[in-house]
Amino acid sequence: MSKNLLDVKNLTVEFHTGEGITRAVDNVSFTIAEGETVGLVGESGSGKSVTSLAVMGLIPNPPGKITQGEILFEGKDIVTASDSEMRALRGNDISMIFQEPMTALNPLFKVGAQICESIMLHQKVGKKEAWNKALELMHQVGIPNPKNRAHSYPHELSGGQKQRICIAMAIACSPKLLICDEPTTALDVTIQKQVLELIENLQKVHRMGVLFITHDLGVIGDIADDVLVLYKSKLVEHDNVKKIFTNATHPYTKGLLSCRPGIKHNPRRLLTVSDYVDADGNEKVVPAAALEPYEKSFEFTDAKNPVLLEINNLKTYYPIKAGFFRKTIAHVKAVDDVSFNIRRGTTYGLVGESGCGKTTLGRSILRLVEPTEGQVLYDGIDVTSLNSTDLRNLRSKMQIIFQDPYSSLNPRMTISQILTEPMEIHNIGESKKERLELAKSLVSRVDLEQNHLARYPHQFSGGQRQRIAIARALAVNPEFIICDESVSALDVSVQAQVLNLLQDLQEERNLTYIFISHDLSVVNYISDYVGVMFQGKLVEHGTAKEVYTNPRMAYTKNLLEAIPKGIPKTV
Amino acid sequence: MEKEYSLWADAFRRLAKNKIALVSLVIVIVYAAIALLVTFGLLADDWAQEVGPANVAPAADYLLGTDFLGRDVLKKVIYGTQVAMTVGFFSCAIAIPIGVTLGAIAGYFGGIVDDAIVWFYTTFASIPYLMMIIAIAYVMERGLKTMCIVLGVTSWVGLCRLVRGEVIKHRNRDYVQAVTALGGGHSKKIFTHILPNVFHLVIINASLRFQSAIKSEVILSYLGLGVQNVPSWGKMIDDAKQDLMQDRWWQLVGASFAMFLIVLALNILGDALRDALDPKLKGQES
Repeated sequence: MSKNLLDVKNLTVEFHTGEGITRAVDNVSFTIAEGETVGLVGESGSGKSVTSLAVMGLIPNPPGKITQGEILFEGKDIVTASDSEMRALRGNDISMIFQEPMTALNPLFKVGAQICESIMLHQKVGKKEAWNKALELMHQVGIPNPKNRAHSYPHELSGGQKQRICIAMAIACSPKLLICDEPTTALDVTIQKQVLELIENLQKVHRMGVLFITHDLGVIGDIADDVLVLYKSKLVEHDNVKKIFTNATHPYTKGLLSCRPGIKHNPRRLLTVSDYVDADGNEKVVPAAALEPYEKSFEFTDAKNPVLLEINNLKTYYPIKAGFFRKTIAHVKAVDDVSFNIRRGTTYGLVGESGCGKTTLGRSILRLVEPTEGQVLYDGIDVTSLNSTDLRNLRSKMQIIFQDPYSSLNPRMTISQILTEPMEIHNIGESKKERLELAKSLVSRVDLEQNHLARYPHQFSGGQRQRIAIARALAVNPEFIICDESVSALDVSVQAQVLNLLQDLQEERNLTYIFISHDLSVVNYISDYVGVMFQGKLVEHGTAKEVYTNPRMAYTKNLLEAIPKGIPKTV
Repeated sequence: MEKEYSLWADAFRRLAKNKIALVSLVIVIVYAAIALLVTFGLLADDWAQEVGPANVAPAADYLLGTDFLGRDVLKKVIYGTQVAMTVGFFSCAIAIPIGVTLGAIAGYFGGIVDDAIVWFYTTFASIPYLMMIIAIAYVMERGLKTMCIVLGVTSWVGLCRLVRGEVIKHRNRDYVQAVTALGGGHSKKIFTHILPNVFHLVIINASLRFQSAIKSEVILSYLGLGVQNVPSWGKMIDDAKQDLMQDRWWQLVGASFAMFLIVLALNILGDALRDALDPKLKGQES
């Protein structure tokens, strides 16, 4: 057994704010050995990031304070270490990879120079030597042609490449402990897979200990040896990854494991953490029927599910302009000749990597972006040729729910204003009072409380805001809703709740959805039909079953293979 | 249901809890009241009268002393308040609507409209500001009205640029797109959605604009381009040039302090108002 690299004992971190004391981490203990990967799982606000910051000695003080416990790194206590001792440790022995590679790199410096900087900070080497070392590191993290690439600025690289640069910076001084704070959350599945493999390989080569923080148990299954589960600031489960996946003991872990839709068998309704744990933290018994895998039927007839939306050769091009007179020199083909039909009452899943044009396609259908060419027939009406008055009237039937519930609600309007405004536009409800009553029934429908109507969006959590956005879309009684990555920004358990809500609403109101997502498991769970987009083109489409069990295109196969299996390899 | 407050009602409720801001508000109101009273001839109307010997230092009879003609300096300061507040208010009343309207139109519609407006204000801003003021002041009759107009039409460019940038930023935000998807028109998007989210900038800008107009008045009066035949803080400071050499400090101090107080109060008030209007900062004020 290799020796312990990191030994966290009874760690408690508190935040003292004007509103009182919050315990962000409560009595957490764990160890990381050399060459071991420990996964730290929990939803947002569970204390996982605070734990990692404590290990880096980066708890903002005030308001944060480590009130109890010790963090031993190779036997030395980090909690009591001085600033200069910590600086020597950080980046040298312990380094960190962040979630957002776009913001972790300085946009004004060449990536090569940024790697050099982290080398020269801790090693006494000259500029030339550091540059050569940087090139070597870039090669190690799989950046093709490092000599040229080192001269690129961060914005010239793709998201995956930027994350590779961040990793190169983190391993520049061969750290003994690498902390990865959701390093793949912002990346596409295929890139995620590559980055995870890279971290795994580097770990083997350098014998690093890795603390891997994520909210995605699927990723953990792929990479971790041991798993820590944090729930409400407490460590509720700490075990070998195999045991966690086969025999979890804490109800929260069970909930977490089952709330994420899988690629194969799913129950009819997704289970959520609240099905396993009640409000007081006690375990609830989940009826066996709720776990039963559900076989979807893919039989659709014209009588029951007539075609609602017909998209014919839709093209949306963005001109690239250059020169003094802004002449158009080329086009970005965001949506390139896409055709498909959607039946009423069904869900059409649209998948693809970021930048493939799926969002633009969604917005072109609603004419939030003007399509360049082609036809969108909604119930026989050509949306692309409507004048603005007719289009405005039609908009009540076609709605959209955006990805980021933080930016899709006007921060200066109360919830009741947000919900009654669309009714005013479309003359729904006779009076102000009646509209308010409608708004009340809407918030109840999306499982929020009626007295929340007077609040502003920032007073809600991400999941609640997404419910408000759903309620706003429902305010005009639509028939068709585009969900543009609507659950991507949410924690898995909240995501399951929102997916259940969307499905219930579909059954109640016979809604038709286009469900845009980069998450193939979610799309598999919710969709009847699936379309795969690549570089603006729809490369494959069919029923969810056809696409997922028998993909025709190599691109689709790659995508499907890149999905984290959610089970440890050794099980 | 919890009680619902409109954004503004709520802002004032929260402003009332901020003591310093409240004091600033009172100061601004007092200045405005003085200005109004002077305008209607109810206060300091007799500023031109000789009340005593020339150049008396502050004493019980003349709280701020007298000037070289034996006039009461306090009354001149009070009369100057009217000039300053008028210039501040009306130059804002001219500059802000121009800046906000053009900025919002340029930012929201983009394209050729944007190009035209940007071209216009860039051209406008390339003319040296003081030269333009002097030119307009000479063409029009010198006086209070001219000064308000001059300061108003020369000071909207900064605000316009600022509003344009912010509107461009907000135009593509999801919440505005959501309004489009819900069928809201241009005016709904601009007035009920984008502008309230840009308004904090306008408030900050208004408070800065107000005080810079007051300061500009002082400078213009000092240069002899300002108000004629009535006292203003600028003219008093100009007069004090000679006074200072003979150790007569009261005129300068009186005018400067009056200006200092209103400028400070406006600054604090603008800052507090911006915070109070931000729903995200709710419940965080002490």
